Amino acid sequence: MLLKTKNLMKAFGGLKAIDKVDFELPAGEIRGIIGPNGSGKSTFFNLVSGVYDPDPGSYIEFDGHDITNEPPHKIGALGLSRTFQLLRLYQDMSVINNVMSGYHTRVKYKFFDAVIGRKKIWDQEKEIKDEMMELLSFVGLADYAELNASELSGGQRRLLVLARAIAMKPKLLMLDEPAAGLSPVNVDNLMKIIMQLKDKYGLTLIIIEHILKVVMDTCNTVTVLDHGQKIAEGTPSQVKDDNAVIEAYLGKKMNDEEMRKALAV
Amino acid sequence: MEKFKKVISQYPFLGFIIAYLVLLCVPTIFFTDLYQSHLSSLIFVNIIVAAGLNIVKGYCGQVTVGHVGLYAVGSYTAGCMFMYLGSDLWLTLPAAIIVTGLFGIAFGIPSFRLEGPYLALATLGGGEAIRLFIENGEFFGSTYGISSISQPVIFGVPFDTPDKYYYISMPVMLIAVYFSYSILKSSIGRAFMSVREDPISAAASGIDIKKYKILAFILSAMFAGAAGAVYAHLPPGYIHPNNYTVIEMVTFLAMVVFGGLGHIWGGIIGAIIITIVYDLTRPLYEYQLFIFGLTIVLTILFMPKGIGGFIDKIFIDKRFKKKKVEEGK
Repeated sequence: MLLKTKNLMKAFGGLKAIDKVDFELPAGEIRGIIGPNGSGKSTFFNLVSGVYDPDPGSYIEFDGHDITNEPPHKIGALGLSRTFQLLRLYQDMSVINNVMSGYHTRVKYKFFDAVIGRKKIWDQEKEIKDEMMELLSFVGLADYAELNASELSGGQRRLLVLARAIAMKPKLLMLDEPAAGLSPVNVDNLMKIIMQLKDKYGLTLIIIEHILKVVMDTCNTVTVLDHGQKIAEGTPSQVKDDNAVIEAYLGKKMNDEEMRKALAV
Repeated sequence: MEKFKKVISQYPFLGFIIAYLVLLCVPTIFFTDLYQSHLSSLIFVNIIVAAGLNIVKGYCGQVTVGHVGLYAVGSYTAGCMFMYLGSDLWLTLPAAIIVTGLFGIAFGIPSFRLEGPYLALATLGGGEAIRLFIENGEFFGSTYGISSISQPVIFGVPFDTPDKYYYISMPVMLIAVYFSYSILKSSIGRAFMSVREDPISAAASGIDIKKYKILAFILSAMFAGAAGAVYAHLPPGYIHPNNYTVIEMVTFLAMVVFGGLGHIWGGIIGAIIITIVYDLTRPLYEYQLFIFGLTIVLTILFMPKGIGGFIDKIFIDKRFKKKKVEEGK
């Protein structure tokens, strides 16, 4: 298993944002996570990537390492990369610098070499830049390399965030609503790029997405969260027909007796 | 020209050697009196401070207003070493760098928890505390300052006049700028920038935020320490607590802001311009601070990235447009 959580819990005050979630993800899979708003999908990402500390009793394992209480940069260095729902681009840095800072964990030269500016630094920097330019041209942003990230359009920003997350050559890439706010054509384009990148770098993917078409078309398996609990897991078609899932999204069908009770209170 | 650019980008060291040779010739060709040499030494000291301040403020985004305190630590380390041990610049410079670096750790630790204006207040307190400590300490010469600090002697030749001291301060400045260049152009500089832009996202990319914050403080403190030591030995070799007030801090900030926050040459451009302007406007003494305050405000309003950023923008836009036109054809 590449990623494994056991009894994962996180409470904010009295609200159980994640409640005893057991999650297993074999390498090479594309996993979708769906659920209504506030069901704990993003919290799950934040717990796994170390942005939040999980509550005691939780256990998270990534690629054979116990990462339960590790700080985010150590988890990142192990090869777990993620994107954020609100992008969190480095607005005031050029596009190429955005991507190159994603490369950070793979930089080989030592700190002291950089301080005294040895020649191998500049050679390596050039290599990194070439490699990152290649990645940028793959996602179609090569022409904008020197512009500030804040000058890009919404769709281009989504691509840039994706490129930045890929730059560290992760084993597992967690995408938090990669296609939010995109037009249908752009969604298809983005998903095509994501799939190409997956094949190229041999990634394992977890995708949170509200556009169900994306999830149903691309994911091997789907996990459904509701009120912090895992209520279903299976192939997209299985999940689609699951009663608990339909209930979570659309509500429960009531008989007259129950309806009367609900209205009286 | 293209080929030259390529060589320089691969061996930046060459660029600095060229700059060294050019600056060596400047005094003999252009300078007519000692005062100009003195002024250029001052410019070099300010460049070192501003280059360091650019690391922590421009690149790492940590608002520090106590930097002048670190500069004072550098000066007084050199001054006290001279006063009690009789050391000269070759010993006091490294010692000042190390001691100030240690002080930098103390200034950096609050940045783990504080941000923006709160961090500014904490560091402002730190800087002022250092100055008041010096001013009231007998050991540091209190309000008399430390005077007639010696100038270095090389092969029996004393570098004790402004025109000779130029050849001491200039190489120190070039080495400092070279270090700042190679630090900021490498992955360390990018890590600083990403910590400035978005710490959470930087951590997700595997960047240790605390490590880089403290590193920025230590590095910039070392620059301030080096500048302080060079300033202490500057003929006539006199330092006084009044040289390290908040007003000086505002001047340093004005240099970095005006030159371009987060631009690799920002601090240097700003230090040159502000020091010269400061000197030319000495007759208008009463209005100087007003002018500098106004400069900072206007720069932030109309040129948020300073002169450096402004020039960069013109070139990048030009290249971008050219590319677009070529594609159009």
